[in-house]
Formats: sequence, C-alpha cells, structure tokens
Amino acid sequence: MRPPTRPHRISCASPGVAGALALLALAGAGPLWAATLVINVQTPDGHGLAGAVITVRPLDAPPRRPAPVHAVMDQVSRAFAPDLLVIPVGSTVSFPNSDSVSHQIYSFSAAKRFQLPLYRGKPYPPVQFDQTGVITLGCNIHDDMLAYLLVTDAPYFGRTDAQGAWSAEVPRGRYQVSIWHPRLRENQTDLERELTVGDADRADLQLRLLKSLQPAPITDRPHSWDY
Amino acid sequence: MPTLSRSAALITLLGLCVTGRAADWELSLDTRAVTSDAGRSFMDGGLGTTRFDRKDSGIQLGQARFAVTASLGELWSAHFDASAWDDKDRSPVGVTEAYLQFRPYPRAGYRFRLKAGAFYPPVSLENRAAGWESPYTLSYSAINTWLGVEVRTIGLEGQLDWLGTRSGHDFDLGLTAGAFGWNEGAGVVLASDGFMLHDRQTPVFGRVGPPGVGVLPFQQFDGRAGVYAGVEGRWLDRVVLRVLRYDNRADPTQMDTVSGAIAWNTRFDSAGLRIESGTGWTAILQWLDGETSIAPPGLQLEWPFRAQFALLSKRFGRQTLSARYDRFEVDTNIPEGDGWQIGHAWTAAWMFDADAHWRLALEWLRVRSYSYYRAEQGGPPLATETQLQFAVRYAFGSGVR
Repeated sequence: MRPPTRPHRISCASPGVAGALALLALAGAGPLWAATLVINVQTPDGHGLAGAVITVRPLDAPPRRPAPVHAVMDQVSRAFAPDLLVIPVGSTVSFPNSDSVSHQIYSFSAAKRFQLPLYRGKPYPPVQFDQTGVITLGCNIHDDMLAYLLVTDAPYFGRTDAQGAWSAEVPRGRYQVSIWHPRLRENQTDLERELTVGDADRADLQLRLLKSLQPAPITDRPHSWDY
Repeated sequence: MPTLSRSAALITLLGLCVTGRAADWELSLDTRAVTSDAGRSFMDGGLGTTRFDRKDSGIQLGQARFAVTASLGELWSAHFDASAWDDKDRSPVGVTEAYLQFRPYPRAGYRFRLKAGAFYPPVSLENRAAGWESPYTLSYSAINTWLGVEVRTIGLEGQLDWLGTRSGHDFDLGLTAGAFGWNEGAGVVLASDGFMLHDRQTPVFGRVGPPGVGVLPFQQFDGRAGVYAGVEGRWLDRVVLRVLRYDNRADPTQMDTVSGAIAWNTRFDSAGLRIESGTGWTAILQWLDGETSIAPPGLQLEWPFRAQFALLSKRFGRQTLSARYDRFEVDTNIPEGDGWQIGHAWTAAWMFDADAHWRLALEWLRVRSYSYYRAEQGGPPLATETQLQFAVRYAFGSGVR
C-alpha cells in the first residue's frame, strides 16, 4: 500500500526484523477519537500474504476483552472447513461433520486438549475454548486432515485479505500488533510490533517476512491414498 | 487356510452389526485388454516376468475386489480385503489383508497404533492406494511385486509416531516393530522364479503357481516367529523416508513332514524415499537388499537378492503419467548357478480417474532379464518381454466417493 501524501513516521518500538518494517501515517477524514489502522503483510518476494492472523491489543487503555462468539468448523470432503478460525477467548466452536464418513477430531495443544468422535447423524455439543493460544487440530482416522484455532483476548483481530492487508478503526493510542500464520518460519517474537496511532487519521504498518513460508499442504491428492 | 478368511469375515460382520453406522465397503471390477509376448507366466509354472504371457493376449479379468472397513467402537476398527483373479487359485476368492486396528487418540504429541491380523509390512511407498494397489502403474515394481507375492505380516505390528507437524515442527518421526508367523515359504518364489513385475498379490495362505507344482509362501512349521523393525521420517506432507529390517527367522534346516516343504530363512533391509511437490510431481526411490537360504541335510544354499527402482510421476488434474525403471538381481552360492537371475525393466503408464467410480489405465512394460533356469530348460537365458495392458475399472460402494 502506497501513501498518497507525505509519509510521516509515528513510532517503531521493535525494529527486530531489519528493514522489514515501515510505519506510515496519513492525513484523511474520520472521527476525532479514532483512526484507521492498516496492516500489510508481505512474503519475502514482496507479494501480499493472504490469511495471516492479525491481533491488536491496546497498551494504554485497560484491556477490553472481545465478546465470545459461536463459530462453526465443518468437515467437508475429509478436510476442515475453514481450516483456520480466530475466535475470542471463551468462544464455542461446533464441528458438525457434513461428510458421510466418521471423523475423530483431537488436539493435544496446551491451550485446549480434547477428543471428539464425529459420527454420522450424531451431533456433538460445541467445544468451549477458555485459554488463549494456537490449537492444532487433527483427525485420528484421516491423518492428512489439519486445521488451526487461534484463541485470542485481543479486542481487534482478523485475517489479511488476498492482497495481504487488514484494517480496523481503533482509538488513538499505543498498540501491540502480532502477526501469525500456520506456515510462518519466523520466531513469533519477531512478528510483534508496538506502534502509536497518533494525530493522523490513518496509521500504516507494513511488515515483510524475511523467511519464506512452509509449502502449503497438498490438497489435490486423493484421500484414499496412504498419507 | 480358510480359517482366517472365515474369522475375518465374522469379525467384519460382527463389526457391522455392532456399529451399524460406521462401515464403509467397496466393490470393484477391473478388466484388461492385454497383448504380451512374454514367456509362460508364473501362474502357469513358467519363468515369465510379467503377469500375462503370450497365450493371455485378449480380454482378461484384472481383479474383482471387495473391501470393507468397520469401526468397532471408537478406538478399534476392522479391515477386510478380498479379491478374485480367475486364475487357478486354491479358492475362487482370496483374502489379501484382514486385520484389526487399535487406534487410540494421540496424546502429548505421540500416537500409538497396533495392528493384528494379516497385512503388509510398511515397506512400499508405491502401493498407497486402496487394496495395496499402486496409483501410478498397473504392474508394481520388482520389489513390491515380490512383497505382494511372498511377504505378509500374519501377526502383530506396533507403531509409535511423534507428531512434530502437529506441534509446530516440520517433521514427524515414527518407529515400527512387527512379529509374525506363517512365513516359512517366503523366499521360495524368489529363488525359483526370480523377480517379476505384476499386480497379482498372493492371497493369505494362497498358492503361487498351478495346482500340484505351485508353492505356498504362508506356512508355519518351525515354531519360530519372524520380526521386523523400521523407522520413518516425514517432512511436512512432502517427503517420506522409510527404512526397515526384516528377518523371518525361519530355521532353514526344518522341513514340514506332511508337505515336504522346507523352511526358507529370508531377511532383508529396505529403504525408500518418496518426494511430492505441490505441483503434482512425485518421485519414489526404493532399495532392497537381502538373502534367502535353505539348509537341507549336508547343504547350505543361499540366494542373495537385491533390487532398486526409481519412479517419476506427474498428475495433471485427473490424469497421471508415470515412468519407472527397475533393476533386480538374484545371486546364488550354487556353483552351477541355480536360481541366478539379473535384469531390468521400464514401465510407462497413463491413468485417468474419470470420476470416483471409473478409472482407465494404459501401461507398457518391458522386462529384459537373464535367467539360469531358462537356459536349464533349453532356451536362451536372455529374454526381452513386453506387455501392453489397457484397463477399465469400475468401483462402487459406500467407501467410493
């Protein structure tokens, strides 16, 4: 994303990834108390990284937890759909299983350990997620099934679009921004930034990864084959 | 032995009754149009290296297969795979695999699995489709053809995996160990026919070759269990590396007083590497090195064997093009050279999965080999055999979609 007017540096509290970060503030219209925070994530070759999870926590204001939601992660054609969900802490997720075959969902991630048999025509109550963190999901019957839940207490969160961008209206103040993606190779601490949303109506954070992503899982392999 | 077939069928039926909802079955019929100039097939007692010989040119039954997988409660499942080939078998339908599997949920990054029954040891990286078929070619590599003919675990196998890819790492690691019986005949086909390339799996307790002269790989009379142990490493879902050491621990001095069969002590090391890309490419390398021996009174007869293959395959949507090069050799310590064989083979195949039910396949196979026994039977020891097959397969059932 290119600034249409004279760029103005706000702050950069964590210059950890050399040359990877550019903070730009722009003039524009908007309510006096708020500004638009725009985050751009790029792969090392300069393409936008779609689907990266952005979480933004205010550093000055008292923490305001997002309201829990009810989300759905279905099982369709022996795959999780969607294969990544970002949910506020305390949320519930149902796993309805639209396949005609059975699944046995499991997680041994620290944030939530659970096992869930999903048989045809036998609905199972939603699962509640009370701890923050990344939860990796698998199926004990179909070894190639893989999905992630990111449980967050950040009031602002979302995923980057096809161009690698995400934006939100946030009150002026200092924020910690974290970026996560299941296939990132970077240390998570290198993907956290502090920034101040100041007087300008728009604040931009651009982050270019230094390490290429892990290859995406192969999805067109017939499910009947040995994994 | 039909006892196992009966018990497996019983187990499966029991499973269907108990769970009702959690069984998947599949029935498939594979017919072939074949043209071949190969010498007499092993199924007729010949030394041909392909499944179909020159007398088989025409329409043939490739395979009729029935398979069922049923959950028995949450952690156990039963698998049953039976086929008919219409070529002089001991029984019209043979069971190729029948086993129970115990599959507890992974805990703390580790997963344990246990199999009991009759099944293939984890050697092949090629036979990854349902029914231990290859999705790349109709005829298996020399290594995996031999496994299909003479090797089956009739016993127990435990597998322990560390699931690194489920806990933020790039790798998974696995350990496998098995103990098995009914293996005293394994090795006899290698020493008498040598390596071959085909897709004719021997049913459990089945016979290889025609009645009267055919051999029985799955026999138990020396009272000793065989063992194997292996390791497997995976990088994401792209690369698999497998190494396995196998020893049937047969006592080569033992003979079955009823049938006169002798125990073949067979042991081998195998290694395999499979690499897949996100763009549809697959490369498979497998290596096998072992020895089979017998020790009738006053004799010690040994047949070291080794084989390798390299397969390269590319998927274009629903079509797959594959090419494979095989090398194989059976040596012997018998000065006259009984059982000696050396050869190589090229295979090219096109597979088209029209939908979940229909599959078309075209395969060209050329095997060039020297064999001691061909010369002993009065022919030239060198043979170049070519087989062309066109296959149409229709599959249906609750497991086909």
